[in-house]
Amino acid sequence: MSFRQPSILPGFGLTFGFTTVFLSTIVLLPLAALVLAATSMHWGDFIHTVLSARALGSYRLSFGASLLAASINLVFGFIIAWTLMRYEFPGRKIIDALIDMPFALPTAVSGIALTTVFAQNGWIGQYLEPLGIKIAYTWIGVTLALTLISMPFTVRAVQPALLEVQKDLEEAAETLGAGRFYAFRRIILPTVLPAILTGFTLSFARAVGEYGSVIFIAGNLPMKTEITPLLIVIHLEQFDYQGAAALGLVMLVISFVMLLAINLIQAWGRRRHVGMAR
Amino acid sequence: MSRAVMAGHAAGETSRPGQRTWAHAIVRWFFITTSLLFIAAVLLAPLATVFVMALSKGIEAYLHSFADPDTLAAIRLTLITAGVVVPINTVFGLAAAWSIAKFEFRGKSVLITLIDLPLAISPVISGMIFVLLFGLHGWFGVWLQEHDLSIIFALPGIMLATMFVTFPYVARELIPLMQQLGNNEEEAAITLGAGGWMTFFRVTLPKVRWGLVYGMVLCNARAMGEFGAVSVVSGHIRGLTNTMPLHIEILYNEYNFVGAFAVASLLTLLAALTLVIKTLVERTGYRRR
Amino acid sequence: MSIVLDQVTKLYAGVPVVNDVSLDIGDGEFFVLLGPSGSGKSTLLRSIAGLSGIDHGRIALHGRDVTHVAARKRGVGLVFQNYALFQHMTVAENIEFALRVRRMRARARRQRRQELLRLVALEGMDERLPAQLSGGQQQRVAVARALAHKPEVLLLDEPFGALDAKIREELRRTIRQVQRELGITTVLVTHDQEEAFAMADRIGIMNLGRLLEMGAPHELYSSPATRFVATFLGAANLILARRTPDGILIGATTVASAERASGERENEVVTVVRPEEVEVAADRAGLSSGYLAAGIVDEVVFTGALERLRLRLDPAQHGSLLAFGDGGGNASLQVTRTQHEQRGFEVRPGQAVAIGVRRVHVLPTPLSSFTACASSAVDAEALSRQPLLTELAARMKTRIGTRTEPQLGLPEGPCQGSDTFVGTIVVASGPRCAQEADWLLRRGARDLLALPRDAQAPQRVLIHWVGEAARGATLAISASVLRHVPAEAVYLGIVAGDAASPGHGHGMRELLDARSEAQMAHGLDMRTELHFGDGEQQLARRLAEAPGQMLILGVTDLQDFARRFGGLLEGESPVLIVHRGSP
Repeated sequence: MSFRQPSILPGFGLTFGFTTVFLSTIVLLPLAALVLAATSMHWGDFIHTVLSARALGSYRLSFGASLLAASINLVFGFIIAWTLMRYEFPGRKIIDALIDMPFALPTAVSGIALTTVFAQNGWIGQYLEPLGIKIAYTWIGVTLALTLISMPFTVRAVQPALLEVQKDLEEAAETLGAGRFYAFRRIILPTVLPAILTGFTLSFARAVGEYGSVIFIAGNLPMKTEITPLLIVIHLEQFDYQGAAALGLVMLVISFVMLLAINLIQAWGRRRHVGMAR
Repeated sequence: MSRAVMAGHAAGETSRPGQRTWAHAIVRWFFITTSLLFIAAVLLAPLATVFVMALSKGIEAYLHSFADPDTLAAIRLTLITAGVVVPINTVFGLAAAWSIAKFEFRGKSVLITLIDLPLAISPVISGMIFVLLFGLHGWFGVWLQEHDLSIIFALPGIMLATMFVTFPYVARELIPLMQQLGNNEEEAAITLGAGGWMTFFRVTLPKVRWGLVYGMVLCNARAMGEFGAVSVVSGHIRGLTNTMPLHIEILYNEYNFVGAFAVASLLTLLAALTLVIKTLVERTGYRRR
Repeated sequence: MSIVLDQVTKLYAGVPVVNDVSLDIGDGEFFVLLGPSGSGKSTLLRSIAGLSGIDHGRIALHGRDVTHVAARKRGVGLVFQNYALFQHMTVAENIEFALRVRRMRARARRQRRQELLRLVALEGMDERLPAQLSGGQQQRVAVARALAHKPEVLLLDEPFGALDAKIREELRRTIRQVQRELGITTVLVTHDQEEAFAMADRIGIMNLGRLLEMGAPHELYSSPATRFVATFLGAANLILARRTPDGILIGATTVASAERASGERENEVVTVVRPEEVEVAADRAGLSSGYLAAGIVDEVVFTGALERLRLRLDPAQHGSLLAFGDGGGNASLQVTRTQHEQRGFEVRPGQAVAIGVRRVHVLPTPLSSFTACASSAVDAEALSRQPLLTELAARMKTRIGTRTEPQLGLPEGPCQGSDTFVGTIVVASGPRCAQEADWLLRRGARDLLALPRDAQAPQRVLIHWVGEAARGATLAISASVLRHVPAEAVYLGIVAGDAASPGHGHGMRELLDARSEAQMAHGLDMRTELHFGDGEQQLARRLAEAPGQMLILGVTDLQDFARRFGGLLEGESPVLIVHRGSP
């Protein structure tokens, strides 16, 4: 088998060449620098940096809060997607368009806005303060910021899947005697499950790397409210490039695992549906 | 007639015999209320805050904050960066989409994954990799210093980091669209004697123009709003290497809330405009996914 | 009876998509609902399944009224066009779904599943996922799944739509076999007449939301009652003929007819001649059947077993023979010939031939053709192009002729053209219309349509007659009109005096009689209204109430016609006068 199947369309050499060269320059070369910088460290130094108490604390917050945020979005994202797809109510189209806001809104803006709303004297924070719930400058605030910026992923992943659950399927279940809840549990949920999981993973991956919106609301106390990306920045500001690279590598590996997981889930979802096209 | 039938299908669900139950109404009410409350608390309240805070000292204070030369410099820098990065990434996106969607070759899926890579990487790491390359202690640091060139803590660094972060947007929109549209029309054009460029400009480009607009708009929004990656490479020099998001951070940390939220309000309007364009593009019939 | 539908009506945005359908389907019967897309057949099936509610009427399954019963409690099995298999479940899980819902034990479920898989010839496929099956196999699974809970009724919604021809045939056989074996009452919806013929015990044909005709396939094919059924079930030539005391005069031949003009005068009828019933020969002497006309071969198409011809009739001589066409005589006659016939007499395009007909079926429809009549040729021509008239003629697949009568409306003026009026005469509404109508009716016109210039297709047709002699004809013509326009039918009963008058009871009885006769004799369901007062005034008032109405008025007596009904013929609504009895 040759590298490329023949085609009468021109331009392969030009576009493929440009794509690979540009990709290598902008993406691959810099990433290689990161890997090299991290691996050129002494093994002991690497372990020391990566497993320091402060680093471990930042992992716990970054991954814990991201997991929590993705879980919150799993539930609310599904509810929102369901509401937008199945019910007609005034303002539905506007809400649907607004869902993408966290994608379009710069993270610094979401950061300062969220902090203001949930600070002790903020619109919502002032009502939570008497209940003893502090949001800004705690891990709850971090989770909240991560929830906001990763919300669209679940909604947008589940929406097309819900559309795809053809009405036929629900109607078939109905004529076969299934009640609404039974049909939901046995037919709808399993059908949209791959989409839900994809949304969950995308949310999680985005949340783990998030920086801009979190640093405003987090308070950034070492060991308590310091996320891993912030720790990297601190290393960089101290010109400890290797330490930063080491932490960066850890995050990069995790990102890769996430990407892999997304692809596996999507392949699994597609495999179950290949028959639909035929 | 067909419109009547379509409307009827929507109505058909409610008129289904034996389905007018309380449980159904309660579930519906619960879902809509929950969704609206969640969106209001997490999304709408912060958005409103931006404008309320920006205008908290009156419209004059709001406008006055844009007279600050550092703020103006930040706006200018952001526009320049987006003005350079978006066209470059658009050209790249077109090239990548053409080679991937129009041809079958080995390693195609690897290439697609690599193009998507920047989306999966933390913005901080995206900035850091350029520091590792071009920073003082980086690979090329010494060489750059000898030739009196600066990339990190200067405009080129900001552009590189922004380029990296916004790299996939146009390509991601165009690849699936072009794959879905297929090669038939291009092949027809070639057999009718058209050249490659003519085929591209007269056949392909008109077909994918809405997808292209969509990708460019998303790319632009991210380019203007990027914080993490740019923060790492910029050095935060007021009036020189501060983009709008970075300037917001500085103003905010100086407790100049009106100034910070005034700049933020511009970026929020930009985001709103992005969503409006997105909605308009979708209305033309071009659908995501 | 397994399935009983009683006056089922379903509205979408106020428009009836299923319009007063009443139907009985017997135990173990295979019933096919056939119709073009948008005819309401799928909606009707979904209503039987309980997937969409109905706005009026009643549905009973095996004697149980299920009109307000949810789909899951109706005990029906439904097979969808796109299979609607649960993609994440195996074949076994799909089939057992209904049994699991009913909490059947695993062992019993397995047993039932094996039984069903054997039935649809898919043994051993239990653990496959739907994605691993071909389209035909998936649809077999869908059939097995629909049968799992032993439903009393099996419903199939275009189940072969997504399959290619060969698999379609195979699956048809399987389904017919399964149906016979289980003896289950089955309703299949399709738009494919060949499929309907191949499978049905009985076919019901739907158009515009109405169930037009029902019957065994061969009955419907050989003796349809309506133009729509005649042309929808295979190719048909619609030919205008005369009903005479001797039989049916078609072209140059008189065909003996059981239904002869009993006592009535000659009138125009529409006949159906199937393409295979047309004979061609070199000359008149060579025909073994009755001579219709001379014609020229326009086109010869070889299609394998059969040869298709298109013949052009001489426009000067026979232009008005064909009902279907543009009225200018350009319509052509379709003919199919077997190999055997081809060998006997080969034809080429351009060749002149003699045309004979072997078998003629007279449609019982009372509306044959339209003739626009005015005092000048220009007016007649303009009237013949009125949009509602052309639309009606197109739907009825009939032609619009013109006729000029310079003396039209002058009390003693003689007829200019032939002294007979055939079909429905159309005149323009207006102040002179009453005189013109009176003039025409007195000179032998039987059906007369007064048409306002901007009349649109009506949404409601009001029906009324003065004098019992016109009753049968008025109902027949109303039924015929309503088969071609999607409108609601309302019978107006008018009793002189007020509600307290002694005529009340009589009026009610008349109303109910009219209603049942319309339903029994013509399959026409109509609403009824009882009004009190003077007949003409009430009609005018009711007609003026809303736009988009049409009046069909039966009259027997022309005494004072212009004075009594003239006001109705000046308004904005079309009025169809049906005149029967003494001229």
